[in-house]
Amino acid sequence: MNPYLPQRYQVLGFTRESPDTFTLTVNMRSKPAPGQFVQVSVPGVGEAPISICSDSRSHIKLNIREIGNVTKALSKKRKGDALWIRGPYGKGYPMKELEGKNLILIGGGCGVAPLKGVIDFIEHHRSRYRDIRLFLGYRSPDEILFKKELKEWRKKYQLEVTIDQNQHGAFCYDAKVGFVTEAIKKAPLDPHASVAFLCGPPVMMKASIDLLKQKGFGERQIFVSAERLMYCALGVCCHCMIRGKFTCVDGPVFRYDEIGAYAHD
Amino acid sequence: MRLYRLEKKRFAEFIGRLMLDAEVIAPVKKDVVRFLPIAHPEEVHLEKNAFFPLKEYFFPQNQTLFQFDGKSFMAQVPKPKKRVFFGVRRCDLTAIRHQDIAFGEAGDPYYEAMRKSSLLIGYHCPKAPSPYCFCGSLPQIEYFDLMFFDQQTHFLIETGSGEGEKAVEEHAEVFVPAETPKPDTKIPGADRLHVGNIAPLYDHPDWKKGVDLCLSCGACTALCPTCYCFEIHDELSTADLSAGKRSRSWSSCQLPGFTRVAGDHVFRKEREHRFKHRIYHQLEYFKEKHGVPLCVGCGRCIEACPTRIDFVKLLNGMKA
Repeated sequence: MNPYLPQRYQVLGFTRESPDTFTLTVNMRSKPAPGQFVQVSVPGVGEAPISICSDSRSHIKLNIREIGNVTKALSKKRKGDALWIRGPYGKGYPMKELEGKNLILIGGGCGVAPLKGVIDFIEHHRSRYRDIRLFLGYRSPDEILFKKELKEWRKKYQLEVTIDQNQHGAFCYDAKVGFVTEAIKKAPLDPHASVAFLCGPPVMMKASIDLLKQKGFGERQIFVSAERLMYCALGVCCHCMIRGKFTCVDGPVFRYDEIGAYAHD
Repeated sequence: MRLYRLEKKRFAEFIGRLMLDAEVIAPVKKDVVRFLPIAHPEEVHLEKNAFFPLKEYFFPQNQTLFQFDGKSFMAQVPKPKKRVFFGVRRCDLTAIRHQDIAFGEAGDPYYEAMRKSSLLIGYHCPKAPSPYCFCGSLPQIEYFDLMFFDQQTHFLIETGSGEGEKAVEEHAEVFVPAETPKPDTKIPGADRLHVGNIAPLYDHPDWKKGVDLCLSCGACTALCPTCYCFEIHDELSTADLSAGKRSRSWSSCQLPGFTRVAGDHVFRKEREHRFKHRIYHQLEYFKEKHGVPLCVGCGRCIEACPTRIDFVKLLNGMKA
């Protein structure tokens, strides 16, 4: 079996999430762990690693930001169109190991996508986890992702949505203006029997981790989903290395003590 | 393991025999010494090691992985004919072993196909062939089909595999079983790296001495026999825009684009981080995963460096 060979799938649906992000539903049957990713191909354009933002065996959902050549090409895909995928790859969040814990999910921008896979997983196995808190930060109201799902999440979980700035004045989402870190700072977070999952831009992750540590969280209670340039997704092309770890096979989800603050390495 | 003897006057005959049913690739003196397919046994050059390593024969600089036509991807797994690599030094043999580990772990069918049906015949350095060599400071694992030890008038040949034994049997006329003990495998003048564990040196201020000279040109990684990183890109056919090919090519962790993600964030933006990453991957990270350092001590990265950054000296200085 050629591990580089992508398989052909069909788009089941396209949803516009924000001016530059969209979600594709694809008829790929798999058993992904929350936090895992796939390599999506558009022949002639290339491949891009995209995290899975759903928890289903019958299909996968991919939340994608139009930022590179492949993701721009993917934004033109509609129901019935073909695309090529290989995977799922990597290690996801250790959901089994963390049963019985309070889960704190901290996401920034399109980093909320892999966490949505976690939220879907929690919904399907709600009794296995205790309190769920979500901190989701965006730059502006336009960029808020999963607007439909947010209403449901608000009913079920303790949810804080923040926006860095509100350029429109009034808006209909219950979001606070400010950085997500301000919401984390104000929240009464008990490190006992809790773990935090983070995914977002490096600056936001660093600031959030510093805050969690101040609140008494140990590095073993913090899980981060790392983003790196990737080609092979098989642990050989070396682009995704964080010191000696390969994001594609040892991650993308790491317990913080595994990679430490090696943002540059 | 068995030992045989080959008289030097019959060496050309042996190479000629190999050439009858395989392509023989050996160090040849051109502008520099290079591994090239030979047309005559006399072309084999054993004085100096090849400037370029052997890796392009197994992991080409550019390689097509797939052709696609808008409907499917068709794998382009190569089928090389039988190849004999002669005159491969211990460092380069160990490097092949390390690439075998890296590509083998990923189950890479392209690399596997290129490695298949290749016979590795080593040449044991009588002394360090370059002032930059330091293979003696690193573990050298026996990884060959046959190994040639230069003994002035003759070669002693050690077999290292079933394939090697078979090759001796096939050419039994030129070989004589040898009763001598196995020659010493120590290579004089090749143990100049004195630091075993570089982990505690990560924040040492002396890294700056190397980093300040580095031009981020990537010559070190291109000439390294072990560096195996690559990138994958698609190309469209101009005749049919739904068709084209997906291929891979060498890349270099010394170039800033190596860690650039969409949105233009570069993780190892500073030269210092890229410089250290190479040295740590070579001496530390690969060892964490596979038990042996990736680096084999051939010294090519130092010889090829336009500003002659000698990381061995740099590390030795940090320890002192």
